[in-house]
Amino acid sequence: MHKVGDIIVARNIMKANKKLANKNQEKFDKANVFCVDFVGAIGSGKTSLIEEIIDNVDDKIGVIAGDVISKFDAGRIESHNVPVVGLNTGKECHLDAHLVGHGLKDMPLDNIDYLFIENVGNLICPVDFDLGSHMRIVVVSVTEGDDTVEKHPLIFQGADLVIINKVDLAEAVGASTEKMVADAKSLNPDVQIITSSLKQGKGLDEVIAAIEEFRSNSNN
Amino acid sequence: MHEFSMAQGIMNAVLETAEANDATKVTDVVIEIGKLAMLNPEQVKFMLSVLVEDTIVQDANIILEDIDVEIKCYNCEYEGVGNVDDSDHYAPMILCPKCESHRVNVINGKDVTVKSISIEKDDE
Repeated sequence: MHKVGDIIVARNIMKANKKLANKNQEKFDKANVFCVDFVGAIGSGKTSLIEEIIDNVDDKIGVIAGDVISKFDAGRIESHNVPVVGLNTGKECHLDAHLVGHGLKDMPLDNIDYLFIENVGNLICPVDFDLGSHMRIVVVSVTEGDDTVEKHPLIFQGADLVIINKVDLAEAVGASTEKMVADAKSLNPDVQIITSSLKQGKGLDEVIAAIEEFRSNSNN
Repeated sequence: MHEFSMAQGIMNAVLETAEANDATKVTDVVIEIGKLAMLNPEQVKFMLSVLVEDTIVQDANIILEDIDVEIKCYNCEYEGVGNVDDSDHYAPMILCPKCESHRVNVINGKDVTVKSISIEKDDE
């Protein structure tokens, strides 16, 4: 014989990440560090953008470089003489707040002004995982196809800054930069959109100014 | 794409609750999945079917319930259920049903929650 009963579980699987994200942000605020999370597809130019910013500002920057299995990106950034923590997600397609929390143990927060987190190359999964950053930048390149923005609405709706990169190649790959700008605007009407060719140095100053402005508006 | 780790989180919640209640068997698991969570419910179900093997959850009915997207529109101040265009299942678009603006704040619909379980246990 057995008894049968219904039990309310009410356990929110996503909230666990959100809680850890809040914890991370408390750590950033305490150390007066402004944290920026860079999201974009593989090859969109996230690592190059981070390298360019490091080389062109006086602020002290630390970087957490997420990757599925390799440490190539962490190695590239290390050569710019800034503190870098490489995080391998193993089988996962995104960074989560828990993993970032681990990475923070090796990051000298008291000695930096900005923490940049480079997410795993993916426009889908990072939507579900807040890391505790103050600002999320989405980088998309025209070479991914000019329908990439409209195909990934949620990541663009959650962006605080959209960078459309490699616009110098648009003609060669038959992509319309204007369409990508219009799509981003339609999905996220208030977001700032910067078109760039980072290899040529175009757009970099605007990106740096946009990050500084976002920081001063959010008082961090 | 992260259905496996979500399914693991779901299983942990189910097993912990079942054990805390001295269950010998779990017969039903009810899971709510927000329409904006980047998860394919069928894949979650498949991952769970693998994870339940050789546990007391093995024969349970897995019941998945959709949770509507609730929004507040920045444009016309509408508050309530948003229109979700799921022509592309993995990346739904959200619109205000009143003024069709994309300028909306999502209040609900991103979460994954284990709502309840039904269990059997031995008589004392």
